[in-house]
Amino acid sequence: MVDIANEIQQQVRERKPLTPAAMLKNRWFLYGVSLMFFFVVWDSSARMFASGLPRPHEVVLQLWRMLFDPLAGKSLLGHVWASTQRILIGFTIATLVAVPLGLMMALNRYVNAIVKPLFDLLKPMPPLAWISIAILWFGIGETSKVFIIIIGTFVPCLLDAYNGVRLVEPELYDVVRMLGGNRRDEIVQVCFPAAFPAIFAGLQIALSIAWSCVLAAELVSARSGLGFIIILGMNLSRPAMIVGGMVVIALVSWGMSQLVSVLERFVCPWKREIDSP
Amino acid sequence: MKDETHPGQTKIVCEDITKIFIQKGKQRVHVLDHISLDVKENEFVVILGPGQSGKSTLLRIIAGLETPTEGRVLLDGREVEGPGPDRGLVFQGYMLFAWKTVMGNVEMGPKLRGVPKNERREIAAHYIHLVGLDGFENHYPHQLSGGMKQRVGIARAYANNPQVMLLDEPFGQLDAQTRYFMEKETARIWETEKRTILFVTNNIDEAIYLADRIVTMVGKLPGRMDVVYNVDLPRPREHTDMAFLKLRHEITEASELTL
Amino acid sequence: MAYEQVKVKTPLILRLLPVLSVLAFFGAWQMVVDREIVPSTMLASPIQIFQLFLVKWTEVNPDGALLSQHIWTSVQEAFAGYLLALLVGIPLGLAMGWFVVVEGLGRPIFEMIRPIPPVAWIPLVIFWFGIGISGKIFIIWIGGIVPCVINSYEGVRMTNPTLVQMARTYGATDWQIFKQICIPSALPMVFGALQIALALCWTNLVAAELLAADRGLGFLITMGRKLALPDMVLLGMIMIGLTGVVIGIIINYFEKKLLAGIRR
Repeated sequence: MVDIANEIQQQVRERKPLTPAAMLKNRWFLYGVSLMFFFVVWDSSARMFASGLPRPHEVVLQLWRMLFDPLAGKSLLGHVWASTQRILIGFTIATLVAVPLGLMMALNRYVNAIVKPLFDLLKPMPPLAWISIAILWFGIGETSKVFIIIIGTFVPCLLDAYNGVRLVEPELYDVVRMLGGNRRDEIVQVCFPAAFPAIFAGLQIALSIAWSCVLAAELVSARSGLGFIIILGMNLSRPAMIVGGMVVIALVSWGMSQLVSVLERFVCPWKREIDSP
Repeated sequence: MKDETHPGQTKIVCEDITKIFIQKGKQRVHVLDHISLDVKENEFVVILGPGQSGKSTLLRIIAGLETPTEGRVLLDGREVEGPGPDRGLVFQGYMLFAWKTVMGNVEMGPKLRGVPKNERREIAAHYIHLVGLDGFENHYPHQLSGGMKQRVGIARAYANNPQVMLLDEPFGQLDAQTRYFMEKETARIWETEKRTILFVTNNIDEAIYLADRIVTMVGKLPGRMDVVYNVDLPRPREHTDMAFLKLRHEITEASELTL
Repeated sequence: MAYEQVKVKTPLILRLLPVLSVLAFFGAWQMVVDREIVPSTMLASPIQIFQLFLVKWTEVNPDGALLSQHIWTSVQEAFAGYLLALLVGIPLGLAMGWFVVVEGLGRPIFEMIRPIPPVAWIPLVIFWFGIGISGKIFIIWIGGIVPCVINSYEGVRMTNPTLVQMARTYGATDWQIFKQICIPSALPMVFGALQIALALCWTNLVAAELLAADRGLGFLITMGRKLALPDMVLLGMIMIGLTGVVIGIIINYFEKKLLAGIRR
């Protein structure tokens, strides 16, 4: 296929000579400098404000201890799981309701006319504002925490599913109709797959909101979870525990968002290479 | 000579088509004004006109994607009432399913009509080969160049075995080299798999290179038919042929198209 | 004539349904409370909330401040954090987008801090600052800075490389290119960040006030919960939503004015 070969663009990587100036501007070198700088500043300022900020190695020690010594009946992993479990339950319920509802709103204007105004009414309320009413309704148990997560993740899930379908190139429907498909084929072959990337974008946002929600709920009232660890650290005046909890929160929430990305790459293989430059 | 290639049986009849659009719910746009056109079986007709002359709308009406405000379209004597697999449409913007591989795109038509998997794979493979994309079956559209994407678009339309192929400025987004090459390919594919073809373009050379008959349209809305040219040049054609250039000159002179 | 103005009506039912849907929502809500299907310790009716809304303009008790004072406190905190986030985040993001050294030094730290939800800072911040206004501003700031940095960075990154190359052939320095080309072309993205950051700041305000406050709309909600007064909780929620919408409209207005000025 000589004819086609010239239609494919070839990329050649340029090799530059290594000079001291180039070394100084090397990305990885700078990253290393930056990290070292960060930890040195952290450590020296921690030594200055002895009580307010733990030193990095104290945080690591604290985390190591918490891995084995149970805190309020649970080890560190137990608390991680407690938070994660709440997110998983709330997130799953919200996704299962919001995504189909969003798709339906985009596909049927009567459903849209009924649901959209209610949705617009509730949308401006920050999810964290629901914590108090959730506690009034469901007490301080698991239900209220899951409820908050559902409230928080519902909005981005629904919005992105809705917009995902609305932004589908309308001519793609024409393609299906020309090929002999009916309305059902349009929905199955075009609507759903075209909306997938948008739905995943919504899931990513929802996930970060879910973390905010679960932490806030745990800060207000909980006997387990990562939010509980940091608020306990505050009450016990143990900054190493607070910072340790924050480190774990960052790691776990980062890990979960990576998981969603992996899932996205698995479900939408066609999107690969599009958005990663 | 011409009557051998298409025995003269009329395939498509456009009867006095007028189209008025309502834009954004408040503006009435008169796009087509009393268009009448007959296309014979296996004839290659090119509709040539500048942008904003309603030629794409005419094609979409024949495809059944739009209904004419007045007049009607007959296909084999039956009125067209909607889109259907008896006509294949190739889009200017390719309109490939980004989530399907080349194979998945090409086999979509047979799949929608319920052709069993093995069979439709065979059909798709045949047309992928016809457009010269062997080896790219498992590529996704974003991995292909513009010319290759439009090959997929053509193969996808062909895979449904339509009686009529409708091409809406299919090479408008390609660079001149690729475009010229794709025109040659189109002529080759048409020679191998004869179909009635309606081809919309704004490029005079493309029109003369491909057409049995050229219909020019007036360059302002509402779109009207201008002149019909019969192109009796032997195939394969050469852009530098004297007869080619003469016809090109004639069309340029007569129409508002400048190149 | 090819173009002509006409009017097409949307079907009556489609215009009525949204109204009916909202009416039904409030009607059902009112009824559920009136008939005491839900105990009054859990839910207040729309009318009760509206009554409290009227009363709270002049009545300090039981939470210790007028509604206007709560709103003003919250708005002050949110704006302080918001403006600080803009002032720090936008220049940082712009610089990270253009200067390799700034990106190399700033990025790892930014990426480490980014996955920590602002809520997770609350205990540490209370530990540091107590429940005063500075702690809340810090939490709002650290949440608002993330979209500012990301959008400004992306905006600079999306600068048309041809423009940059053109400037280089004219002999422009790095700094000139940054000022004359990168910043203007990043502006639309930066303006996008204004709205996103505002929404985030407003959300985080609730979080900040939830735990540490003696005034503010978030505090109003918390008090309502502690006193088991659902009408107060709901009033606080509605006021947060409303104020957020109003601020959003104001920012949007200024954004349009500014953008129009730049495009001219």
